[in-house]
Parts: sequence; C-alpha cells; structure tokens
Amino acid sequence: MRSQPLRLFRSELRLVFGRRRNQALLAVLSTAPILIGIAVRVSSPGGDGEGPAFLGQITQNGLFLAFTALTVTLPFFLPLSVAVVSGEAIAGEASSGTLRNLLVVPVDRTRLLLVKYASIVVFGLAAALVVWGVGLIVGLLLFPHGAVTLLSGTTVSFANALGRALLVALYVAAMLAGVGAIGAFFSTLTEVPMGAMAATAVLTIISEIVGAVPQVRVIWPYLFTTPWLAFGDLLRSPVPLHAMAIGLLTEGVYIALFLLLAWARLTTKDISS
Amino acid sequence: MPFSLRSRWTIPAAGATAVAAALVISPMVADASPSLPPRTAAELLASTTAAADHPFSGTVVETARLGLPDLPMSGAGSTSLSATSLVTGSHTARVWYAGPGRSRIALVGDLAESDVIRNGTDAWTWSSATNTAQHLTLPSETAKAPTPTIDVTPAQAAAKALAAIDPTTTVTVEGTASIAGRSAYELVLAPRDAGSLVAQVRLAIDSVTSTPLRVEVFARGAGKPAFETAFTSITFATPDPAVFAFSPPRGAKVTEQTMGAAPAPGARPDAAKDAAQPTVVGTGWTSVAVIKGVDLSAAGGNAQLSTLLRSAKQVSGSYGTGRVVTTALVSALLLDDGRLLVGAVTPAVLEQAATRAG
Repeated sequence: MRSQPLRLFRSELRLVFGRRRNQALLAVLSTAPILIGIAVRVSSPGGDGEGPAFLGQITQNGLFLAFTALTVTLPFFLPLSVAVVSGEAIAGEASSGTLRNLLVVPVDRTRLLLVKYASIVVFGLAAALVVWGVGLIVGLLLFPHGAVTLLSGTTVSFANALGRALLVALYVAAMLAGVGAIGAFFSTLTEVPMGAMAATAVLTIISEIVGAVPQVRVIWPYLFTTPWLAFGDLLRSPVPLHAMAIGLLTEGVYIALFLLLAWARLTTKDISS
Repeated sequence: MPFSLRSRWTIPAAGATAVAAALVISPMVADASPSLPPRTAAELLASTTAAADHPFSGTVVETARLGLPDLPMSGAGSTSLSATSLVTGSHTARVWYAGPGRSRIALVGDLAESDVIRNGTDAWTWSSATNTAQHLTLPSETAKAPTPTIDVTPAQAAAKALAAIDPTTTVTVEGTASIAGRSAYELVLAPRDAGSLVAQVRLAIDSVTSTPLRVEVFARGAGKPAFETAFTSITFATPDPAVFAFSPPRGAKVTEQTMGAAPAPGARPDAAKDAAQPTVVGTGWTSVAVIKGVDLSAAGGNAQLSTLLRSAKQVSGSYGTGRVVTTALVSALLLDDGRLLVGAVTPAVLEQAATRAG
C-alpha cells in the first residue's frame, strides 16, 4: 500500500509526458529561444535598450538568451502550457469516463488530487527548464560566452551566472505552480477539459492586464502574476531576497487556497460517468 | 468520514478568511504608533540637524501623486528609470550609505537597474537598460564631500524640507509612527504663507539615530501625500565595501569626465550638462525657480510632456503671455519669451514673480 501513491504518481507522469499534445507544447516552447537566437544572430548588432530585457546583451554573452527566452515566454506561453496540462488533469479523466475507473480502485480522492497536482508542478518545472536549457545551448552555440554582466553592472564568473540562471528557472517553475493550482481547481468544476484550460489561461491574462493598469495599483500586491518578474532580482548584486520571498509567499497562498477549493469540490462531487 | 460532504466547503472558506484576516491585521500591527518619551519640536529639530552620520543600507519606496497624467506602463520590459519618470507613480530604490563620500543608490525597475555610485573621488552612473556607464573623476579635496543626487531618499528630501523652514513655518511634533520596523517621531512642518501649495510636510525621525525614515508632503486640501518617500527596510550597519566598488562591464559604453580642480563646495557634478542654471526668486516655501531660454518645441517626442502641455491654460499679464500648468504640488508658468517659472506655489505667485523678474 505504501508504494501505491508513488506508483500512481509515476503512471501519472507517464500520462502527462507521454501525451502527444504535451510533447508538442514543450517543442513549441523550445522554439522560442531558437527563434530569438537566430533573429539576434542574423540582425545587426545594436538596439539601445529596446525590445525585451537582456536582448542587447545576448550578442555579448550567450547565457542571456536563456534569460531573454524565459522573460519572453513567462507572460503567455509558459502559463498557457501549464493551463493546458492542469485543465486536463481532472476534467480530462471525467470526460473520457476514466475518473470513475480511477475511483473504483481504492484510491483516495485527496491522494488523487495531490498526485495530479504534483505532476502539473513537474510539468511546469520541465517547461521552464526546456526554455532555459534550449536557450542556454543555442546561446552558447551562436554567441560568445564568458564572464557575465549583472543588472547592477557588476561582472560575475560564468559558473556563478549559470547558478543564478538555474535559480531563475526554479523561481519561474514555482510561479507556474500557482497557475497549476488554479487550473486544477477549474478542472474539478467541469467535464470539459477545454473549458478548464481556457478559464485558467483567461484568468492569467486578466490578472496580467490588471497588473499593467496603474489606476488599480492598490490591488497589484494581491495578484498572482505580479511577482513573476521578480526573478530579475537574482541578476542584481547583492541579491535582494525580499521581492522573491513575497512572490513565493503569494504563490503559496494561491496554491493552498485553490487546492483546498479543488479538494472540497472533488471530494463532494457526485461522479457518475 | 470526519466531515459531512457539504461541510467540506467550509475548509477553503476558512482558509480564505484566514488569508484575508492576515492581510487586514498585519498592516494594522505594523502601523501601530509606538509609545516614545515626549520630545519637543525644538529638541527633535536640533537632534536631526546634529545627527551623527549613521552608515546604513536599506530599501526606499518613493511615490508621487502630483496629479500628472498616469501613463500605462510598457509591460514586461519597462525600463524607464530616468529622473523624469520619478514624478509619476511609485519607484523602489536600494540605498547603501557608508559616509559622505561613499554611497550608492540603485533605482530598481523590472529587469533593469540604474545606479549612482560614489566612492571617494570616483562617481559612476550606470544604466543596465542602455548598457552605458558614466565615470566622473572628482578633485581629491572633494573625496569626503556628499554627492548631490536626485531626491529619492528620505534623508535627501528631509534636508530640503528642513532648509525651507522659515519664521512663517509652524513646527510641531505630532505623535509617533512605526516605519520599517523602527519607532519614529513625527515632525510636522506647516507653512503659513497662503501662496504655498504645501499644506504640511511630515518627517518621521528615527527615535534612536535621528535619521529621517519617511517624508510626506501634503498638498492643500489633499488627504493623501502628493509626494512620499519612506524606507521599507533599513539596517544601521556599515555596508560591505564591495557594494561601492564599480568597474564598468566589458562591452558597456563608458563616458569619462574629469571635474576641474577646486570647484565651489556643493557644485553639482552634472553642472556641465545644465547649460541653463535656474535663478531663485523669493525665499522658503514660496521660492520660485526661473529658468531662461526654455524651448519646448523639441519636446514633441516626449509623450508625458506633450500630454502635460495640452492640459496647460493660457494666461497673460504685464509679464507677457504664457501657459500655466498646475498639479497638486507644483505649478509651472511657461512664458512665450522662453522663461520657465516653477515652484510649489499657486499660479498667482508665479505670475507675481514673473512680473517682478521681468
């Protein structure tokens, strides 16, 4: 019995990563750094601080392609792919009628939710690492590498910067875990996976729009998308931890609340199909 | 089953209530006025002006509500960290201070940073968005002189407010405040001159070090400060010397500049850039800066400025004709002869000054 949740988790991961659509999502994500890398490589150098952050630095250091790719995919592509996977989680089983089968075998609904959510978090981490890793490889192939200039103008060694870049990817994955929890809740509300996916993606975009309108600045601290760009603090010297700590706390509160909602819904749901 | 099915929904509801309660209660706890031994305004003023130089590092948040048009931010890559962008919205700066000749202010933006670093006779400015650095070598006798910079920090803003105290100012101590976890006295400066747009300036003075921790400037008839700068965190300890060491990164555009020997004390390092030095008319709260030879026809590209000019009102008088722009705290009169008058005063005071100066 003790190994049962682990077995369920493994089979769930196989399900998530084995699905063609999810593989296609990861493939699409990996094209972002490739496209940016080629575009920067073939275009003339320059760009006085225009375009996405770090774009100008790529020609000096390939490592910045990883940062640029994460910055570009974070507002839309990364949350969208997590929305797809999380929206599928419960609703997908319900629509194909397999949720009933899953619940007939002695699997606790709470445990099922946690296993589903854990695989969403793993997918989010994989998505962030794909963007990061492809960005890193393409960047190092196309551009010079070496010591890295931080936002504060300080120069650090390549190994130091690589460590910071990995922390950036992990922070991004933690932010995506918030989207995943919201998606998991929507997924318990419907038997139409598409609806849950769309609701999650739309909520993320609405939150980002509200976060860009200065007139409603008072509610910015409570939005789950506000702390996303705080990963930039990892590229300062010394690193300020406050904003990222607030970011992790914000996502933590969202994750806790939406998982409780999903749990309340799933455990009281009358599953007939 | 421990819960009936329906009652399960009470658990997320309880969680949401707990979060809401925490969000409501924690600022109330943080804002609670600490009880401190009473001090008179004169004592507080004296201790502030005589305050020993305490090294510190901290984070400052500056907010301006001048009533200027609020422009939507340009999304993720927003890197507008220029001094002009400080007049609208809210900005965060990290500040390190080790002594008059050693300081660093880092204006922090989303994925961008602008730094002003002063280390003895070296002064650097750095902008990550443009990848440019400016190096200013100061004469050796100024190695210990303070750096005049933009008034971002409470200390800088407080020094300005204290300098404006004149016989017509009422100075009172009004209670206490808790800022960045430290207890502070609230010193209130209120100009009596009706020509001033400033209703009062509230300074929160740290009870231990007498360092200004917050400065709020209230415009007449406003409940919220029009300008506010406060520490959100502060540590009184000498910062790591590495913070002040700056060497321009490889690939950055570096501009070198050397200051001539023995400049007047308090000379601005960027004086060379300011061709039109303002002259000041009047004193204290109603002083008006007059800048000659202003040509705004070239400013069409600046969205903020052109929005502002569109809201200007045509005026005329014995001084000639011009346009006047009024915000909550600052009025500006731009005359057709190229003179620009700016002050924290009513437009009438500006027009008087224009007549007198003309």
